[in-house]
Amino acid sequence: MSKTPDNSAILEWPAKYNEIPKEVFERVDLWPIELEKIFYGDEWHPIVHQSEIPNIGDYKASELGEMPLFAVRGEDNQIRIFQNTCTHRGTTLVTESLGNKTEFECPYHRWLFSPQGELVGCPNSREFTPGFDKKDFSLPTFRTEEFCGLYFITMSETVAPLKEYLGEDFYEPLSRILGGDGRLKFAGYQKVHYDCNWKAYCDNDGYHAPLLHLAFKMLNWQGGQGVQNVSENGHLSFESELKIPDDITALKDASILDFKGTETSTGSIVQMQFPLTVYSKHMDMLNIRYAFPKGPKGIEVHYAYFTHEDDDDEMIEHRIRQASNLLGPCGLISMEDASIFSRIDKGNKTPGMAIFQKGVKDEYKLELKVGQNDESGNLPRWEHYRKLMGFKRAES
Amino acid sequence: MSEIEPNVIFSIENLNRDYICALDKLDMNKWLACFNKQEGTYKLISNENESNGFPIAFMLDDKYERLQDRVTQVTVIQEDSTEHYQTRHMTQLTSIVDLGNNRYQANYNFSVFYTQNLIEQTAILCVGRYEDIVLIENTASFIQRKAVIDTNVLPRYMAYPV
Ligand code: FES
Ligand SMILES: [Fe+2]
Repeated sequence: MSKTPDNSAILEWPAKYNEIPKEVFERVDLWPIELEKIFYGDEWHPIVHQSEIPNIGDYKASELGEMPLFAVRGEDNQIRIFQNTCTHRGTTLVTESLGNKTEFECPYHRWLFSPQGELVGCPNSREFTPGFDKKDFSLPTFRTEEFCGLYFITMSETVAPLKEYLGEDFYEPLSRILGGDGRLKFAGYQKVHYDCNWKAYCDNDGYHAPLLHLAFKMLNWQGGQGVQNVSENGHLSFESELKIPDDITALKDASILDFKGTETSTGSIVQMQFPLTVYSKHMDMLNIRYAFPKGPKGIEVHYAYFTHEDDDDEMIEHRIRQASNLLGPCGLISMEDASIFSRIDKGNKTPGMAIFQKGVKDEYKLELKVGQNDESGNLPRWEHYRKLMGFKRAES
Repeated sequence: MSEIEPNVIFSIENLNRDYICALDKLDMNKWLACFNKQEGTYKLISNENESNGFPIAFMLDDKYERLQDRVTQVTVIQEDSTEHYQTRHMTQLTSIVDLGNNRYQANYNFSVFYTQNLIEQTAILCVGRYEDIVLIENTASFIQRKAVIDTNVLPRYMAYPV
């Protein structure tokens, strides 16, 4: 799995590390390779937070690449993630995005599965193959790990354990987004389709924030001191102090921007886990953005928001009105990002390279040390992508 | 349930007409004028969240100042980064209930089409229902306009209320 495939004939990568061939966003023939090498390869993918399915029998449908799956809380209170397919002939078992079931019955020939995934009933089984044993027909599952209540899966047998894969610079801030201890309460989704390739969606950088988002300027919002941590396998983690000015005149109701904070919640955190999951904590908003490429074109993003079990009523209300107005596909400080996703995708139908500048000191060298407001933090991710895809870098 | 007077229906329909015409002309001040200045609220929420009891909304203007700030957001803060689109709101009144004190609960079904500059093809932005509370004094105004959309996955980011 870790062997680099020879796909050099498909696309040659430029010698300069800060140049990305625009065709990488547009070529439909890359998608099957991305599925195999990335989505079904040596990466971990978050599927569900325990608070999204708090009761026994609660389930949530999801996807990995093009594969349907679902997470369910079993009678033993354990969360398991299964492929969403009957082990008989393959009919999907759940058809709703969320729900609760005491058993999962396939309508086709009425095979019946427990929330733990065991096959517990199958009509007329005396007439089945001689060696038929129900035990061999449990729902197929995944290698699964949990972190602060968030469940990750991988198709890989060989990828490092989750914490090692994420690295401490990533999982420590992530634990704070997840409330410090994962004792979150789920507050709802905002779901949206963006008209862009998945790689355009997750190529947002550290350079744009004060420039694109006019709200920051209008609200006299100074970016505080901060860091951008980048790992070789493409994860990015931004953390900065949060300085919200006292006198916000552009808004009539500035309380929407209040930062109340908790013990584990100090500054702003934004994280991008390879290949395409964003986690963020802006002010008092705890947010996971599950993302699902719809083939080579289009991506569906499910912004999931949380409150903490220790919140009082005032804090819950504050988190909800903040998340419902500031973030997501209509948000005061985020809608512009969404407009860029589709515009960058459209613009990249032109020939040539997308060129990164801010923070690049040597075009021929990959730099893992980057400043808070550099866009060069995205380049290790692109290099990780290039290697996984087996594209050869041109000689300099 | 008492019979609803024709003039009440007329007032409610007028208010709804002002509302959808304001949005289709993208006149955010006329949109704001549809809400009651003391108590007006607006909410846009997915049916998935609403029916599961999840409080997160797409837009949540829970007091008049928030409504005013939404006008600023659309007309000033995000004006230049938005890929603008033309909307057409189609609405159908489905029920009116008298709540007393000149207040009425009115429900509408709606569908909103959009035509995006540059693409120029028309598609459905969202489909859903309005759950309104209307106060009728001299004129009618929204105490609450709640848009609950069946379209759980928006087809694009949304720049304006619906
Ligand atoms: S396909 Fe599920 S029971 Fe036959
Ligand atoms: Fe941004």
